[in-house]
Amino acid sequence: MNWLWDGELGAWLGFLKDGSLQKLLGITLLMLWTASGLCAQENAPILSGGVQFLSSTVGGNTFFQPAIAPVLVVPLGDHWLVESRADLRGFIAHDSGSTGPYSGQFIASLEYLQLDYIANPHLTVTVGRFLTPFNIYDERFTAFWIRDLQDAPIIFPIGTRPTGSNNGFMFRGVVTAHPTWEVNYTAYFSVLSTTENLQSGRTAGGRIGAFFPMAGVEVGASYQRFLQDVNYNAVGAYFTWQPPQIPLDVRSEYAHSPNGQGYWLEAAYHFSKVRGDTSPLGRLQGVARIQQFFKGTPAPGDSLPAVDTNRFDFGLNYYLPHDIRVNGSYGRQYSSAGNANTWEAQISYRFLFPALPGVFK
Amino acid sequence: MRITLFAASALALFVICADVSGQSPAPASAPAKKQSSNAKPAADQTQAAKSTATQEQKEGERRFFANCGRCHNPPESISPREVKAVMQHMRVRAMLSAQDEELILKYLAP
Repeated sequence: MNWLWDGELGAWLGFLKDGSLQKLLGITLLMLWTASGLCAQENAPILSGGVQFLSSTVGGNTFFQPAIAPVLVVPLGDHWLVESRADLRGFIAHDSGSTGPYSGQFIASLEYLQLDYIANPHLTVTVGRFLTPFNIYDERFTAFWIRDLQDAPIIFPIGTRPTGSNNGFMFRGVVTAHPTWEVNYTAYFSVLSTTENLQSGRTAGGRIGAFFPMAGVEVGASYQRFLQDVNYNAVGAYFTWQPPQIPLDVRSEYAHSPNGQGYWLEAAYHFSKVRGDTSPLGRLQGVARIQQFFKGTPAPGDSLPAVDTNRFDFGLNYYLPHDIRVNGSYGRQYSSAGNANTWEAQISYRFLFPALPGVFK
Repeated sequence: MRITLFAASALALFVICADVSGQSPAPASAPAKKQSSNAKPAADQTQAAKSTATQEQKEGERRFFANCGRCHNPPESISPREVKAVMQHMRVRAMLSAQDEELILKYLAP
């Protein structure tokens, strides 16, 4: 037996006495426990999100925005959920407007990182950083692989300033649900934060919506009280219509604050007879949007145009297999500050896979 | 060297564990055919259950397009391991009712 003790096994057994082994053993047990615990669940954590390359030419100035936006979802049992989305992008533009060499900068932002407690079908309590639930654009269409036109509406900053995200707590849920109609609500309070990448305003607000699934109609109204510097109210309303028989999406929002008011109306149509058509023509979608903005009392940092502005956009999206989308759009803006054309082209890829290694099936 | 070997072994164990426990549960073996007098009612029951499941999937598809389709197209594929997390995520974000969630889950992971 001496050969065994003196040989390789002996060396290993000697290694057992080493303190570093205890640490490794602890780490191993932790890894095994984590793997078995997480994998035993049917609802494994997922990593989703999108990758894009966007080229924009606005008034003759061209810039590029490669970006990745990872979404991490970690279910902790049936009632608890951790959700997060970040946006990491480069901004590459000419040094001096439309000429000269290109230079770039890196921009990172945490859009949401929230802990949800799904208490029951009527109530979910959220704590952390979340997207501002004012109207529908911020929560639903800020993901670049989802929105039909890449430019956010002009009125987007109303009710979502300063960053579109809030740090605080939120209650949301479905008040009542019937086969032909349902009512949902959201209420939140947010604190002031000036921490880099985690900026947030001190606000309180809410939203109430009604959804009629058979008709494909949704209407709602939003309210926000901005509670820092100058206190003021922002109000909004939204309307969406998706006729079940045809693949048409109509969306619109109206928003008002002392800084200005306006609306946008967007229609998107898949060149197909039915929804979910994956024929070559059914993958093509045409989009059109009109917007009007009327300036109110300007405020520093309101991120709104300085003058009344009208704009229309037209775009084409093509949904390729494997969740890849290419699109192009043209927009024309009219204002007393000068008219401008906007050309955009984007390719994006939406990904989704389990966040744990070794579980690709 | 030993530490590296041990760490590699630990990582391999972790991956194997994750892989094995991550596999979809094997489908339940088909029940043995029994020669009994109530074989026909059992077959009818199976047929009825299948029909109910199909109806629920169709209703789940309708609700998917009514609710999820308000914002995005259906993803090309979702594995059974991902679908529950996706549904929990969307239940919070899209404020799905409990029944919507249940039926859409049956559509996505029949």
